[in-house]
Amino acid sequence: MTSWAIRMAGEQDLDAIMRIENASFASDAWSIQNMHDELVGAERFYVVAYSTAAETEELIGYAGIAKSMAAASADVQTIAVSAEQRGKGLGRKLMNRLLEECNRVGIGEVFLEVRADNPTAESLYKSLGFEQIDLRKRYYQPDSVDALVMRLQITQQPKAEPLVLGIESSCDETGIGIVCGNTLLANVISSSMAMHVRFGGVVPEVAARAHLEALTPTLHEALAQAKVSLEEIDAIAVTNGPGLAGALMVGIAAAKALAVSLDKPIYAVNHLVGHVGVDILERGKLETPTIALLVSGGHTSLLLVRDLLDDVELLGETIDDAAGEAFDKVARLLGLSYPGGPEIDRAAEGGNPQAFRFPRALTLPKDMDKHRYDFSFSGLKTAVARHVEVAQAKVEAGETLEFSVADVAASFREAVVDVLVGKAVKACLERNVPRLLLGGGVVANRRLREVAQQRCDENGIELRIPAFSLCTDNGAMIAALGAQLVMAGRAPSSLNFGADSTLSVTTVQSA
Amino acid sequence: MSILLAIDTSAGTSVALFRDGVLAAELNVTDNMKHAETVGAAIAQVLQQAEVAGRDVREVAVGRGPAPFTGLRVGIAAAVMFAEGSGAKLSGLVSLDAIALLALKQRPASETRPLLVTTDARRSEVYWALYSGLSDKGVAMRIEGPQVIKPAALEELLASRNIDAQTTDLVITGAAVGELALALRAAGELEADVSALYLRAPDAVEPKASGQFGKRVSS
Repeated sequence: MTSWAIRMAGEQDLDAIMRIENASFASDAWSIQNMHDELVGAERFYVVAYSTAAETEELIGYAGIAKSMAAASADVQTIAVSAEQRGKGLGRKLMNRLLEECNRVGIGEVFLEVRADNPTAESLYKSLGFEQIDLRKRYYQPDSVDALVMRLQITQQPKAEPLVLGIESSCDETGIGIVCGNTLLANVISSSMAMHVRFGGVVPEVAARAHLEALTPTLHEALAQAKVSLEEIDAIAVTNGPGLAGALMVGIAAAKALAVSLDKPIYAVNHLVGHVGVDILERGKLETPTIALLVSGGHTSLLLVRDLLDDVELLGETIDDAAGEAFDKVARLLGLSYPGGPEIDRAAEGGNPQAFRFPRALTLPKDMDKHRYDFSFSGLKTAVARHVEVAQAKVEAGETLEFSVADVAASFREAVVDVLVGKAVKACLERNVPRLLLGGGVVANRRLREVAQQRCDENGIELRIPAFSLCTDNGAMIAALGAQLVMAGRAPSSLNFGADSTLSVTTVQSA
Repeated sequence: MSILLAIDTSAGTSVALFRDGVLAAELNVTDNMKHAETVGAAIAQVLQQAEVAGRDVREVAVGRGPAPFTGLRVGIAAAVMFAEGSGAKLSGLVSLDAIALLALKQRPASETRPLLVTTDARRSEVYWALYSGLSDKGVAMRIEGPQVIKPAALEELLASRNIDAQTTDLVITGAAVGELALALRAAGELEADVSALYLRAPDAVEPKASGQFGKRVSS
């Protein structure tokens, strides 16, 4: 049974450390001032070992490194174990703790000097993987003993299946997901949608307030669902854009604090790329290249993904309203509730999608130069509004009408779906990509899925539609993308990133 | 070793770390636009300065405002999650009370007027609270507020009630939040509530009800 433990050293340990220092290095001990400067110095990492057998904490060893983050290297500054505790493996424990820290912060090389007349220490270092690279003659004075210079090269071994917790708060969904490598363990979503109904659309301040309140319960549920504890998490991932700035900030602050408290790396990831990466959770990998059509209340984007982590190209996006927004606005025009997508779907039941030919914006030959893969829905919304006004005027004038709301809803929906699927399939064909992946809340729209399937089948394109709980905004997709970054051995983000409401899809991970 | 982490983002980003009731590290960043950018590194920095690991933190205290929206949430979200990660006990306090504690501790014994603390609420308004003094437990005794008001209206209100108050220019610091938390704990008055004190409803207008178009024209 071990009767000691290791913790980070502090200034308060100085006296106890000096007692061991003076006893261990009779001829060349550091001065107390020297040791103090080391303990409090920048880029230093010192740990102490203490006996847990006694009532009061008794210091029995210490060790420290100087890190050079710029050079991604570290030097072992000192290591000592009190005389009566030697030969019990404590030196190895201390060294391992230092190497653990090096590994955590991404240090690639660790150097040390050891006295040539200390074979015990030398063999310990060798067993840890250190190799002698140099000899410094008469380095240790006044004894005139040579120093062996040793080096350990740390190949950052990315964990095969890291446990990653992802936080998503870019719009009205507080999502916390947990994945283990490519495997989904938990996907908990707390939506504030109901609070936005009376406003007919997402109110950023209402959404942000709701995120703050949803954090704790959502986290607890995700941990329970995944059956893991926070201590087991290897990395935190968080959406830092695109999205609503105030909403994003809640998730970012939460993720950073969690990462700092757990001393784990953090990955700031792109929301839209997360929507693409989520396919990994269902299929074990993402087939590339793929075209991705992401359609929600906030986004309408067409992407060409050649590589999830390194090569995502924005082919086109909406130049005004998002498709989901168009559904919401038209639903309101028709006296329907929010969110508009499912309401329009219901209203369109039995309607004739060909009853009215509403405009398909940016599909004419003249649009192909500038807006080949872009979308525009504000004109469509205006056309429907005009239509409704005219109808309303006729009703008020006592005329009878030949159309029903079902026809207007079905015709509007058909126009949206036609443009969305049309451009996505066009991109597949023109870019010679035999795959189309759908994502975003509008994927819930039955007609969109039908038309996409039909046109993909006609053109020999493989269509991927993830489960709806993975299509809407969720934390699992953020965790999944974070896990891909970890497994690829990518360096974590710093703690300094902020919310970027217009983050480009080419930035998969923010520094 | 009892370690307390204090966080407040009601103005800038303020973080402090107390070891056994003594301030060990503090960081106050006055930029009031960069809370989300700052908060993580600020916490990491005070931990490092005090040479403490996250899991060593036993208590987290956070300022609940009042403050205008976005920044305030950053501190609370960070505090909530830091407590989750470290297993620390979480408590919330009124940020104005921390400023009051600073001011009341500094003022001469001869000063017996009530203390008025105000902070910028933007939109030409201020948050305010009024304090009678320090309790024998060392906690600022709030007798009014926190509320949000136009400065002119506040002046009128105080004048109409014949209140001649001492004012203060002090601003919130991480140390002040921590000291208040320690005083509240000693007095047995720490509260677990960390809900944000916005004191304003979200800006959102309900759209006018649409005509019952569907019902009128479809059979």
